[in-house]
Amino acid sequence: MLGTLDRTPPPFFRQGYSALTKLVFFSALSVFLMVADTRVALVANLRPAIATVLAPVQRGLLVPVELVTGGSDYLAGLRAALQSEDAARKQLALQADRVALAERLAVENGRLRSLLELQPALAVRSQAAEVLYEAADPYSRKLFINRGAAQNIGLGAPVINEAGVLGQVTRLYPLSAEVTLLTDKDAAIPVINTRTQQRGAAYGGLEKGSAMELRFVAANADVKVGDLLHTAGVDGVYPAGLAVAKVAQVERQAEGGFARVLLVPAAQADGVRHVLVLEPLAAQLPPRPAPEPELPAKAALKQGSKRPGAAP
Amino acid sequence: MIMPRGSDQLLLPVNPLFIALSLLLALAFNLLPLGRNPALPDLLALTLAFWAVHQPRRVGIGISFMFGLLMDVHQGALLGQHALSYTLLAFGALAMSRRLNWFTLLQQALQVLPLFAAMHTVALLVRLAAGDLFPGWSLFIAPLVEAALWPFITLVLLAPQRRAPDPDENRPL
Repeated sequence: MLGTLDRTPPPFFRQGYSALTKLVFFSALSVFLMVADTRVALVANLRPAIATVLAPVQRGLLVPVELVTGGSDYLAGLRAALQSEDAARKQLALQADRVALAERLAVENGRLRSLLELQPALAVRSQAAEVLYEAADPYSRKLFINRGAAQNIGLGAPVINEAGVLGQVTRLYPLSAEVTLLTDKDAAIPVINTRTQQRGAAYGGLEKGSAMELRFVAANADVKVGDLLHTAGVDGVYPAGLAVAKVAQVERQAEGGFARVLLVPAAQADGVRHVLVLEPLAAQLPPRPAPEPELPAKAALKQGSKRPGAAP
Repeated sequence: MIMPRGSDQLLLPVNPLFIALSLLLALAFNLLPLGRNPALPDLLALTLAFWAVHQPRRVGIGISFMFGLLMDVHQGALLGQHALSYTLLAFGALAMSRRLNWFTLLQQALQVLPLFAAMHTVALLVRLAAGDLFPGWSLFIAPLVEAALWPFITLVLLAPQRRAPDPDENRPL
């Protein structure tokens, strides 16, 4: 019967802070963390520290999930594997002559640029990465990749796969990175219409399906369903020419004098495993010039105002 | 320990290691990469609420806050969103901890449902205030599932305390 008694009696006097005190303190701390997350350096280091501690647990928990999904693939059989290998080889063969054409065009482009004395086109360095999982936060669209600060990934690096642009790296941890997809509410990318060479900006954050839209398009602009959009290469982040999206719907009667253009992203984020992380273009552009020192006109004005006081 | 009504058994004292183990297992379930589904139940919140009700001196607001921070970093969410909602959940569970044990399991589940709904709603309001989009009405399935799981988790987590205090060959455990 003595086994049923609790080992130590509850304390009579030193009972700690009251629940209400703790509630107020921790709520205030939570709100402070929310606000200070992007502003205060001390808090900005808290997130990577916790993420590094959680990283082995997260990688370890990938194993059972992959066992289940991989196990069902394994059970789907030999025939499905052979079929997908066939399809992949066919696609590779179709792309072989496009690759040869692209190489010829690149050589010709280089010659023409040097003839016209243009700057040589920038070569973009890239790194292959694997997608660990999609972020479980239902309020944003993000992926986690398995390359991080330790592998020299830069903040804001573009992430692409074979179909097109996926997004940008928005948070760096030592061993992994968070990629914000183009379909996230905060994502924006400058694009150019392949058919009309019209520049625009594509934003994300709509519902599934056509999750992106082209904003600030005039109601009478030349945009048709089926137009392909690719990166314009002018923002210092994305190299030019990568596929971004396809126009799915154009409504010209929307309010505000703008058309409502809905896009379907070229690279579908569901089920993507292997991605390429590019170096942001700004790393290769020449640095911005330093701000000029005080203008000579201002200095002359100052001297001019002193002149009447000076001795003749 | 107040005797649960309808049960004629005194519960054994809880093992703090068991509390820690159950919380870590719940955290591991939350960390499983099951995809971006707002209707998934938050087992860690359920376990924290359970221990705050049954062991209010051991698991309280501080521990809930720390687990909330871990969840925020794992999900890549606003830092402090889960911390705030878990803090409020723990406070609510502590407030109802003395009276909940007098009810049957089904009645307990009914009383715990508004607590979980409030927790999810606080997180939703925080993100809406920060400017994010509404994730869909399926978000409100999660508190229903968590309240439905309350009786099961009560049975599972109280099982070690319901063992016999004097085991013999007829009742070894």
